[in-house]
Amino acid sequence: MSERTHNRVMLALAILLAGIYLFPLYWMYITALKSGSEMFATPPSFWPAAPRWNTFAEVWQSRQMGRFLWNSLVIAIGATTLIAVLGVGCAYVLARYRNVWVDIGLFLVLMLQVLPASLMVTPIFVGFSQLGVLDYPRLAVVVAIAAKSMPFFVILVRATFMAVPQELEEAALVDGNSRIGAFVNIVLPLARNGILVSAILIFMQAFGEFVYSKSMIQGIELQPASVGLNSFMGPNTNEWNNIMAFATIYVTPILAVFVLLQRRIVSGLTSGALK
Amino acid sequence: MTIRKFAVIGALALAGVSLMGLSAKAEDVTLTLWSLDKDIQPAPNLIKEFNAQNNGIKIEYRLIQFDDVVTEAMRAYATGQAPDIIAVDNPEHALFSSRGAFLDLTDMIKGSTVIKPENYFPGPLKSVEWDGKYYGVPKATNTIALYYNKDMFKAKGLDPNKPPQTWDELVEDARKLTDPAKNVYGLAFSAKASEEGTFQFLPWAQMGGGGYEHINADGAVKALETWKTIIDEKLASPDSMTRGQWDSTGTFNSGNAAMAISGPWELERMTQEAKFDWGVALLPVPKEGAERSSAMGDFNWAIFSSTKHPAEAFKALEYFVSQDDKLFKNFGQLPARSDISIPETGQPLKDAALKVFLEQLKYAKPRGPHPQWPKISKAIQDAIQAALTGQMSPKEALDQAAEKIKAVLG
Amino acid sequence: MRRILSSIRDGHGFDILLVAFPLGFLFLMAGLPLIYNAVMSFQEVDMFSLGTFSRPFVGLKNYRDLFAQPETWPILYNTLVFVVGSIAGQFLIGFGLALFFWVNFPGASWLRGLFLVSWVMPGLVVGAVWNWILSGDFGVLNFLLRESGIISGNIFWRSDPQYSLYAVIIANIWLGTAFNMILLSVGLSAIPGDLYEAAELDGANAWQRFWTITLPMMRSSIGAIIALGLIFTLQQFDLFAAITSGGPNNSSNVTQYWAWELSFRQYDFAKGATISVIMIVFVMFASVVYVRSTRHEVRG
Repeated sequence: MSERTHNRVMLALAILLAGIYLFPLYWMYITALKSGSEMFATPPSFWPAAPRWNTFAEVWQSRQMGRFLWNSLVIAIGATTLIAVLGVGCAYVLARYRNVWVDIGLFLVLMLQVLPASLMVTPIFVGFSQLGVLDYPRLAVVVAIAAKSMPFFVILVRATFMAVPQELEEAALVDGNSRIGAFVNIVLPLARNGILVSAILIFMQAFGEFVYSKSMIQGIELQPASVGLNSFMGPNTNEWNNIMAFATIYVTPILAVFVLLQRRIVSGLTSGALK
Repeated sequence: MTIRKFAVIGALALAGVSLMGLSAKAEDVTLTLWSLDKDIQPAPNLIKEFNAQNNGIKIEYRLIQFDDVVTEAMRAYATGQAPDIIAVDNPEHALFSSRGAFLDLTDMIKGSTVIKPENYFPGPLKSVEWDGKYYGVPKATNTIALYYNKDMFKAKGLDPNKPPQTWDELVEDARKLTDPAKNVYGLAFSAKASEEGTFQFLPWAQMGGGGYEHINADGAVKALETWKTIIDEKLASPDSMTRGQWDSTGTFNSGNAAMAISGPWELERMTQEAKFDWGVALLPVPKEGAERSSAMGDFNWAIFSSTKHPAEAFKALEYFVSQDDKLFKNFGQLPARSDISIPETGQPLKDAALKVFLEQLKYAKPRGPHPQWPKISKAIQDAIQAALTGQMSPKEALDQAAEKIKAVLG
Repeated sequence: MRRILSSIRDGHGFDILLVAFPLGFLFLMAGLPLIYNAVMSFQEVDMFSLGTFSRPFVGLKNYRDLFAQPETWPILYNTLVFVVGSIAGQFLIGFGLALFFWVNFPGASWLRGLFLVSWVMPGLVVGAVWNWILSGDFGVLNFLLRESGIISGNIFWRSDPQYSLYAVIIANIWLGTAFNMILLSVGLSAIPGDLYEAAELDGANAWQRFWTITLPMMRSSIGAIIALGLIFTLQQFDLFAAITSGGPNNSSNVTQYWAWELSFRQYDFAKGATISVIMIVFVMFASVVYVRSTRHEVRG
C-alpha cells in the first residue's frame, strides 16, 4: 500500500470513527431544531422536517442566557485560577521526592475526592453557612469546585513535572539560583504546556459544574448555565427541543474555542511537552 | 495631595450615597419565597404584582426544582437559612408541619377575611392540616384522568363517545388500539420509581378498596395485576417504568399512544400539538358502579416558623389567595377552591376537558398526610417496579410494601 | 525567623510551604466533609439536625440495618459491574484510539482533537442527550440497530432490568473515552522513538513492539489513568439521575446514587452516610494500588 492510499484509508477511517463518536452531539443539535411532536416520531427523522431556527433565539431571550453564561465563566475562571495557584506547587513537590511522605500525600489527595459532589454538598453547605461564606455564593462555589477538582489537577500536573529532568533544576541550583528561582525560571517554563492543558481541562469541567452551584447559589442572577439548564428539566416540563437548544447554546461557544485551540492543545501534549 | 483629597471626598460621598440607598431600602421588609414555578407560572408573576403595590413588603423569588424542594428546604432550615415562604408538594407538607418547621397559621386564618377554610376542597385542605391545625394554604390543585384519541377509536371501530369505563374495558380497548406496525401503544402512563409512580398508582389502589394504609387489599392487587397485564402485553411502552408523566403524554400527543393517563397540566401543550380529535374521561373503575377515586396533586403555600416577619408573610399569602380566580385563565391551573367557578376558555376541547377534570377532582384524595410520606411512597414505588419487571408477583410485591408501610406507620 | 525565611527560599521549607497550603485546603474542604459523613454513619440522624454534630450515637446499627436490606448486595454487585465495565470500555477504546491517532497521517491531530468534545460537555447535558438516544420507542439507537438488522425488536435500554445498567455504562464509556485517549496519547508521545527503531532493527514485529516497549513504558500513565478512571466512575452521578434513576427496581442502582437516594429522597441521612463510608474504604484500596503503581515511574 502506497503512503498516499495508506493516508487516505486512515483518514477515512478516522472520519468514520469521529462521526460515530460525535453522533450524540449531532443528535443534540438536530433535536434542538425539531418541533415538539417530531421529537417523539417513529422512525426518528435525521433531519428536521422544518428546522425551527428561532428556537435558539427564543431560548436565549426567554432564559436570559447571557447572564447564565457569564456566571459560568466567572465561576470557571475563579476555580481554575485557585486550583492552578494551589495545585502547581503541590504537584511539583509530590513529583520531586520519592519517599513515604509523598506516598501518603498522594494517597490523601486521591482519597479526598472519593465521594460525588452530591454527597459532599451537605457538609460543605453546613460548614459554609456557619462561616458565612454563603453570603458570597459564587465564591463559595469556586472554593468547593477547587476542592473537588484539585486532586485531579495535581495528579495530571505531577506527571508533567515527572518529565522535567531533575538535572536541569540541580544545574540551576549549582549556578546560584535559589529554590524559588530555579522553580520559577527553570521548572515552571518546562512544565508550562502540561500545566496549561490540565488547567484547560479543569476549566471545562468547572464550566459545566452543577451540583454545588445548584445548592449554594440561590439568587437566579448569580446562577451558572448548568443550573439554568436544569430549571428546564422537571417532571412536568420536559421540552426536549428547548432543553437541547439551551444545551447547544451552552456548549457551542466552548466547543468552538476548543476546536480552534485543540490543535495547539493536542500537539502541545503529544509532541512531548518538553522537546 | 489634592488628588488624595479628592479621592477621600469621593469615597465619602460614595459611602454616603450607598448608606442612603441602604437606609431607604431598610424601610421595606424583605421576604424570600421559594417555589418551583417558572416564569409563565403563578409564583413569579404574583410576586411581581405584589411588589408593584409598594406596600412596604418586598418579596425576593428563588426558583427551585421539583425534585429539590424538600432537600433544599430541609438543609436551609437546619442551618438557619430557610426562606420565609415556600411552596411545597402536598404529600410532603406534613413532613415539615409535624416537626414544627412550618408556622401554625390557624389563628391568622381565623382573623383573615381572604383565606377561609370553608372555601377549599376538602382534599387539598386536609393536606395542610396537622393535628387539627392549619400549617399552610393550598396553592392550586390537580388530578389525573384518561385522555383518549377519538380518531384512533374510530379507526379501530370503537365508539369515540364511549371511552372505557372499567379496568377490563380499558385493557380490552388498549388491546384493540395497540398497533405495533404503526408504532402505536394502547395506553401511556407513568410507573416511574418516583412520586409520580405513586401518584398514578394510588388512585387505582383506592378505587379497588385499598389505600396506602392497606396497600395489599385485594382490589389493589387486582390494580397492580392490571398494570402488569398492560406492560406484559406491551399495551403500553415498557419505558413507562422510567418515564415521567409529561414524557409519556408526549407520545400520546405525537400519535404513538391511543390513550394517556395524566393531568390538566397537559392541556396547554396538547391543544397546540395534538393533530387529532381527543377527549378526556374519568379514570376507569374496577367494575361498573364501583367507588371512584383519584389522585390529588399540586402544591401548598407555607410559612417557615423561623421567619422574622410572620405577619408580612401572611399578608403575602393573602394576596396570592385573592388572585385565585385568575389562576386558570392566566396559568391554566385549577384553584383548590369550591367557591370559584372557572370561566370557559372558548376552546371546545379544553373546556370539555376542564369539566371532566373538575368532576374527577371531587373524588381526589390526598396522599397522607403523614410525616414519613417519602418512605411510604418509596415502598409503593418499589412494589410497582418489582411487579412490573417480573421479579415478584403483584401480590407478593404489595404484601412486602404493606409490611414496610406498617413499620413506618408504627 | 531568618532561618525560616531562608529555608523557604532555599531549603525544604519551600517544599513544605508549597504542599502545606493545598493539603490544608483540601483537608478543610474535602477531609472534613468526609469525616462528617463518617461520623454520621454511627449516629441517628434526624433531617432537622443536619447543622450539628451532637446527635445520639447508635454504634454499628446503621451498618447492620443496611446489610439486612435485600437490595444491598445486588447494588454492590451493580457497582462492581459498572466500575469494571466502564473502566474497561473507556480504557480499551481510549487506548485503541490513541494508538490509531499515534500513526501519523494528515489530519490526525485535528480529528483527535474532535474526540475531546465529550470532555467539554457538562454531565447534565450528556445525561440528557443519552437519555434521549437510549429511549425505547423513539430512541435513535434502537432505530439504528433495527435498521442494520442487529436486533429485531426494540431494546428497552432504560426499562429492561437486564439492560438498564448497561445503558448507563454505554453513556459513561462515551463520556470517559476522551479523557483516557488524551492521557494515553500523552503517554505514548513520551516514549522515545529510537526505542522502536532499535526494536525494528532487531526484527521485532508490531505486536512484539507493543508488548515489550509500549506497554511497559506506559505503565505509570496506565496506573494513573485507571486510578483516576475509578474515581470518576465512582463519582458518576449525573448519568444515573438523567437516564435510569437507578431503576427499574434498583437494577441499575449503584452505591453513589443509592447513597444520594437514601439521603435526599427518603431523608435517611445516616444510611446514606453509611454507604459513603463503604465507598471510601473501597477507594482507599484503589488509592493504594495507584500509589504503588507510581513506584515504577521513571524520572525523566
